[in-house]
Amino acid sequence: MDMAALLNWMIFLPLIGGVLCLAVASRQAARQVALWTSIATFVLSVILAAGYYGQGYAGVQFVTQLRWIDSINVEYRTGVDGLSLPLVLLTTALSVLVVIASWDIQKAAKAYLALYLFLMTGMLGVFLALDLFLFYVFFEVSLLPMYFLIGVWGGPRKEYAAIKFFLYTLFGSICLLVVMLGIYFFTPEAAAGGASGGGQNTWDMIRLQTDPAIGALFARGGPHWGFAKLAFWLTLIAFLVKLPGVPFHTWLPDAHVEAPTPISMILAGVLLKMGGYAMMRITWPFFPDAAILFWKCAAGLGVISIVYGAFCAMAQADWKKLVAYSSVSHMGYVLLGLAVLTRAGFDGAYYQMIAHGITSAMMFFLVGVVYDRAHHRQIDRLGGLWLKWPAYSGWAAVGFFAAMGLPGLCGFVGEVMVLLGTFQAVGNPGFPTALVYTYGVLAASGVILTAGYILWMFQRVYMGPQRAEYAGYEPVKGREYFIMVTLGLAALVFGVVPYLVFVMTNPTFDGIMKIISVAVPAAQTALGG
Amino acid sequence: MDQIKWLIVTATLLPLLSSAAVIFLGKRVFGRATGWLATAVMAGSFGCAVAALWAWMAAGHPTIVWTVPWIPLNANGSWLYLGVLIDSLGIEMVVMVTLISTLVHLYSIGYMAGDSRFERFFSYLSLFTFAMLSIVTANSIVQLFVGWELVGLTSYLLIGFWFEKRGPQLACKKAFVMNRIGDTGFLIGFGILFYKLGGQLLLPAADGGMFVAIRQLIEAQGYSITNPPLWLTIAGIGLFCGAIGKSAQFPLHTWLPDAMEGPTPVSSIVHSATMVAAGVYLTGRIYPILTPQAHLFVATIGLVTLVMAAGMALVMTDIKRVLAYSTLSQLGYMVLGMGVGAYSFAIFHLITHAFFKCCLFQCAGSVIHAAHHEQDMKHYGGLIRKLPVTALCYGLCMLAIAGASIPYTTWGLSGFYSKDGIVAGAVNYGSALSALGTWANVFWIAPLAVAYVTPFYMARSFALTFLGRPRAQHLFDHAHEAPLTMLASQIVLATMAVVSGWWMWQNLAVESEEWFHSAGVSWVQSAAAIEAHHGHAMHRVHEALLQGWGWLASLGLGLLVYSFGMKISSQVVRLPLIHTLYTWAKNKYYFDELYDGVAVNIGKALAALAGGFDKHLIDGLVNFAGRAGRDTAHGVGRFDLAVVDGAVDGAAALAQDGGRWLRTSQSGRVRGYVLLMFVGLIAGTLALIFVALR
Repeated sequence: MDMAALLNWMIFLPLIGGVLCLAVASRQAARQVALWTSIATFVLSVILAAGYYGQGYAGVQFVTQLRWIDSINVEYRTGVDGLSLPLVLLTTALSVLVVIASWDIQKAAKAYLALYLFLMTGMLGVFLALDLFLFYVFFEVSLLPMYFLIGVWGGPRKEYAAIKFFLYTLFGSICLLVVMLGIYFFTPEAAAGGASGGGQNTWDMIRLQTDPAIGALFARGGPHWGFAKLAFWLTLIAFLVKLPGVPFHTWLPDAHVEAPTPISMILAGVLLKMGGYAMMRITWPFFPDAAILFWKCAAGLGVISIVYGAFCAMAQADWKKLVAYSSVSHMGYVLLGLAVLTRAGFDGAYYQMIAHGITSAMMFFLVGVVYDRAHHRQIDRLGGLWLKWPAYSGWAAVGFFAAMGLPGLCGFVGEVMVLLGTFQAVGNPGFPTALVYTYGVLAASGVILTAGYILWMFQRVYMGPQRAEYAGYEPVKGREYFIMVTLGLAALVFGVVPYLVFVMTNPTFDGIMKIISVAVPAAQTALGG
Repeated sequence: MDQIKWLIVTATLLPLLSSAAVIFLGKRVFGRATGWLATAVMAGSFGCAVAALWAWMAAGHPTIVWTVPWIPLNANGSWLYLGVLIDSLGIEMVVMVTLISTLVHLYSIGYMAGDSRFERFFSYLSLFTFAMLSIVTANSIVQLFVGWELVGLTSYLLIGFWFEKRGPQLACKKAFVMNRIGDTGFLIGFGILFYKLGGQLLLPAADGGMFVAIRQLIEAQGYSITNPPLWLTIAGIGLFCGAIGKSAQFPLHTWLPDAMEGPTPVSSIVHSATMVAAGVYLTGRIYPILTPQAHLFVATIGLVTLVMAAGMALVMTDIKRVLAYSTLSQLGYMVLGMGVGAYSFAIFHLITHAFFKCCLFQCAGSVIHAAHHEQDMKHYGGLIRKLPVTALCYGLCMLAIAGASIPYTTWGLSGFYSKDGIVAGAVNYGSALSALGTWANVFWIAPLAVAYVTPFYMARSFALTFLGRPRAQHLFDHAHEAPLTMLASQIVLATMAVVSGWWMWQNLAVESEEWFHSAGVSWVQSAAAIEAHHGHAMHRVHEALLQGWGWLASLGLGLLVYSFGMKISSQVVRLPLIHTLYTWAKNKYYFDELYDGVAVNIGKALAALAGGFDKHLIDGLVNFAGRAGRDTAHGVGRFDLAVVDGAVDGAAALAQDGGRWLRTSQSGRVRGYVLLMFVGLIAGTLALIFVALR
């Protein structure tokens, strides 16, 4: 089959499946539909990856380009490159697990599954859209199902959490919209040097990155340098909300605490990555000069997220909230890695997203398994689970230690590369040594804090004597083991063979670093001599 | 070469394999045979290590480097590598670790026999060994760090093996966090080197060991090690911080005594071959890039640790605690040895200490086993009659750690040879260190003095346990000698404790020294100290003190005093000054109180502060914005109703409908959102226009 067509099928297959879910008669049938839809989507994504993998394709592949809204030059343009492919695979793989984890949802199961499949289309669309307008549409489309999934199937304060989530993200979207309008109106000025379509308004994300004439518009001293500075911040804020970064993160603990377990998994596993992905796709490559100008603030926010998120996690009595705050801390590494503008930083930031996609989904699931039985999440009311369920606890150890960044598990690779990338930035023009060291040392000390809160939690939940009330808990089901073991093995594999990801991303990142190195020549300096 | 390489790789991977097999199949397939299986695999690993050592010696002591690509760093083909580095430092460690681990496995078959998680224990133990082996065979800093953290993790699992109880829970967490603090220093030191030297730092080791290559890089860039820039000293100290954590040096030492909450076989391996050895090993590895200032730092840390720990070993009454503090003190010697330039003797002492300390812990384990898990020596006494073999092993190792020798000859037990070299190095260092003036003499007086305290506190523990009259008749009556598996392990270790020193003195210590020279480290400022053995200052010490009757006097005094239990000592500690010192040492110099009271509480307070800040201020602002949006919407609604609608001529009915519509859809928040979006759009567009016009 034509790969471009396959790619589009992959995006919209979940949508069709979702409609089908609503159409079938029984819950059980809807579950089957959802399961097979997600599996089919996963298979499609694997075929897509097989077509891409290891080919060294630097540019965007399997592009579809259709005219959509002519009057404002909007096109339906999709395609895949090294920046999106690993995240697409993460999304589709995690989706299968999430559907399995949703098996026991009883309340309006058909609607739930349909909404979830709609969400899948939104997520895949975000990663695969190459037209800025289309990207924005998918970005918004992913918002609505999530709003309902939290607002209807959530816990006691679900309405509050859902609205908070919605408003926060919408606030970010508006920031993005303003920048989009600016870009749209300014691009015709790039006619002179434009490689293609000069003199026209454009939403083409790849052209926006690579066309030197457009780059010159937003470069330091260029005609729209003032706008570029503003736009950098607006897009950064837009995606910081998603990431989430301090101080735009407070929707996250509420959303997670209220959301049902599978939704927490996908929210932490994939939706947060939309923020990091968009930063790497839009914020940094579109406005590289602004990125170097403001690197101190951006990296500072990253470091604050790391340390502050860890402290907040330590303070939580609610287990799920602790895991939620750990996301804030871990995603801080993504921001730091991007902000320091080194190759190792970029690689590390990206890897951290993949690794966090695995570990955070796993941690939320681990919490969910216990919550389903205990019906509370108070850490102080748990303890001794290791005696109750040794195998479950063994896998829990894998998940939590992977999140803690233990070498050999996936969390380590991203963290250490970001730290190295940070130290690597010393000596680049505009990177004062003392400040880089301070950031590096603070980020490194985040490692201690992470060990602190995770081990403390682990001690209180898993160690110690069993509690009497555990007697009535049903044993961990095979379905649940399947999810844990899959994620645990993924944590192990991606800890040992990071090459699996880098082989896809490397050529694309070379391209992105070239764009950025116009501003920061040293950014392209190769690691490893 | 190939043969040696594969032997070492096999020796390293076998424990990993056995660990995985045991954790997944142990209970179902192997059952109680698990212990023997794991022990056999470890023995196989030891066999490989010995074969490798033999082949390596026959091949003329080559440095072997082997790599495979692991993590790609960029598209230009640079990688992080996995692989092995085999040189005299590494191969000695591999043999020692596999031997001790095999014996600990064997010992555990008896000791853990009644435990409900018998199989899992062996899985952890094998994994622990694998982690240690991957440190000592690592050929790049990154790989070393991977093994380093894996040691941290497995020690966490082993120390917390009896996690039902509160003590082990706290101990394993403490060990991990203390180590993480050290590791952060390591990462920072690594980061500094990385920024100064770039990606070449990550390349696999060249001939002569990875830090020798790094030293060459540093010098190639025009820096000098003997007259170094500040960053180099800081980087060296940073890396050494990792060793401070792992080897439990002051001020991160508090985890080690607590770590005895784990089963005794764990103590015996942690205190000898694996965890604490890793720190000294690391210091040995990074030695080539340590500057004179860093050396002074290392020596000072070692000095403080060895003195402080000896004081605590004197006053504890828990048998495992006495041994734990004696470990601390001996580790202090090793680190001091590294600092003063007695490099090969520090490694030598690491290995001899591994044998006798592992044995001492196993003997203590046998005693505890016999005494129904009573660990307080106040309740022991006279056990030599019940546990003769254990007492013999303990006695031999006591002599070894005391540095026993035949007066005025060069014949002694293992500890004699190794400690001797360290003290000699310290004497040289102390007399050569002009910068500190008179204070420099501390560097040799203190270790010498403590060398005479060691026999005393070891004799104390021996006498309290095995000699005199039973102080708890009930315990004594039920005491019995340990099972054969445990005894066999003890006997082998005790034999090693007796003979290994002499044998290595003849063979391997010279190897280390040879490596040390061939690695091009001999121009380090304290190079003279290496020659100390033959040096002038050395003789002064030897003849007067170490080779003399001193150790015997100290040991004898200890045995004499404590054969009567605590009767004599309890009178002595009432003396004014001694009482103060006793109280301090007994309370572990209040380090735990300091750390718990200050660091932990500050951490918790900061966490509470951050949590509160997040909940009340940041989230408060968000909620305030939400409320403000809603209230504005209400206001606008009223405005709409009263003013805009009111102004519409003859549209009263319409206004009423509108009002009713507003009231019924009382979802002010959603309207707030619409408003927010609207206002945002307008503001954004205005901003855009403003920017565009400028």
